[in-house]
Amino acid sequence: MSALQLEGVGFTYPGAPAPALRRCSLRADGGAVTWLMGALGAGTSTALLVAAGLAPRHTGGERTGTVLTLGLDPATPSSATALGGRVALVLPSPATQLSGIAETVAQEVAFAPANLGWPRGRIHEGVAGALAALDIAHLAHRDPGTLSGGEMQRIVIAAMLVLQPELWLLDEPTSALDAAGRAILHRLMRSEAARGAAVVIASEDADGLAGVADRLVVFEEGRPVLDRRPDVLLRGGEVWAAGAGSTTIAELSRATGEAEPRPLTVEEGVARWTR
Amino acid sequence: MDAVTPLVLEAVRFGYGAEPVLDGVSLRIGAGEGVALLGANGAGKTTLTRLAMALRHPDAGRVVTAGRDTAGRRPEDLADVAGYLFQHPEAQLFARTVRAEVGFGPERLGWRPERVGAAVDHVLGELALEPYAGRHPYDLSGPTRRLVAFAAALVANPQLLILDEPTAGLDRAARARVADVIRRRRAAGVAVLAVTHDLGFAAGVLDRAVVLEGTQVSRDLPLVALLGNHPRFPAPPLLDLARRLGLGGAAPTIQALAPLLTSHPETGTLEA
Repeated sequence: MSALQLEGVGFTYPGAPAPALRRCSLRADGGAVTWLMGALGAGTSTALLVAAGLAPRHTGGERTGTVLTLGLDPATPSSATALGGRVALVLPSPATQLSGIAETVAQEVAFAPANLGWPRGRIHEGVAGALAALDIAHLAHRDPGTLSGGEMQRIVIAAMLVLQPELWLLDEPTSALDAAGRAILHRLMRSEAARGAAVVIASEDADGLAGVADRLVVFEEGRPVLDRRPDVLLRGGEVWAAGAGSTTIAELSRATGEAEPRPLTVEEGVARWTR
Repeated sequence: MDAVTPLVLEAVRFGYGAEPVLDGVSLRIGAGEGVALLGANGAGKTTLTRLAMALRHPDAGRVVTAGRDTAGRRPEDLADVAGYLFQHPEAQLFARTVRAEVGFGPERLGWRPERVGAAVDHVLGELALEPYAGRHPYDLSGPTRRLVAFAAALVANPQLLILDEPTAGLDRAARARVADVIRRRRAAGVAVLAVTHDLGFAAGVLDRAVVLEGTQVSRDLPLVALLGNHPRFPAPPLLDLARRLGLGGAAPTIQALAPLLTSHPETGTLEA
């Protein structure tokens, strides 16, 4: 069984003139980093919200088709409870994901484990490990509400990591992170996949993810239209036809008018364009 | 454009509690300048922008935005001279349609309806937002909402634009449109102060770097002199490539570099 399975899913937000997902089918398995990319409005973020059950439970709107998240339909209230702690959803605006009641960062990260009734020793160990993994141990005793957007983003991720989720759903998780924070997150995605978790990320950061993801799924008009290894897709022309794009160096190569396959990295660009 | 300096900070100190976030910060941004405000997560970048917009007021020192000391002023007292894009624009959208949202500022400034309409049309066109004009801002995706908030910051033609992560979540096409708008506004004399982690974007549209570290301005230098010469600010791909090909003098943009690469027919084509 795939960790995430969407079969022929349609979704329309309340009052929206057109569906955000149309006949969308997608599977994501444990042990791999699956990267979703598409032009604005192509449906990648909505696919994650549907997988997490927030659409339609919180957004309203109408969903059709089959969604199985760790084998359960996430739209039903009972599965929402059953999936708590097993699915990690990271949204682009971290402030909305803090509990708002923890007085310190350590308490924030300990919040869900405590709710789940973990023994004290395990909570302490888990929190320390998660803070270290995000390089925010020095913030442990700070008030989360007073921290910057990038710091909050790291806290939100630490608060999910501590639960060792089976499925990660990451929506533009690096939007507020600096270069060091992005590198930490990329390493974390690889180590979580190595642990066996399914990691699904929606991102436009082709430069960052080209060397991190195992698989690139390109969305167009509410469903996947391309699905292959990132280095294969990003060198070709189909990603551009689908409105998604590629790395900065591939974009430069395209602007020169030269033929595919395109270089993806600075090293490859130097090799191609050195006289 | 008049001779008023778009933004001046003099010996500013500010803290949310006992600990100062900024202490002894002085900064002057002139007309047409494009400044990247950089620093680690938590260095006080967003705080500095809030001070400039009179959303916060310094504990000591002065903040003068477009010639107006922010002491005793509220954000709306700066609405005609400074435009602000929040890090999380859901905090600033409230109208029922995109068109009403973008037109709200100029209406509050007392512009005549025809002038408001023309300004809104222009800025929606610049950002390719016309298809969303009649939609409710909350029905839009996060990145599209960010573009709407950017349009609202631009519409009154302020002489200072303060942008907190203007490209977050944007796709390549939208990013390019935002870059074009910023270049055009700067050429017309608008000063831009941007908090951004998108160093490739910054290198393409801004030219001065101000780095916050340990509550102070630790570096204030040309952006290209910083990028690649500081562990926290690696050279973005186009700048890195240009330098390694000996084209370091060219602007690190696709438009500037692509013709240079094609102009050398002997530069080999690598066959796969």
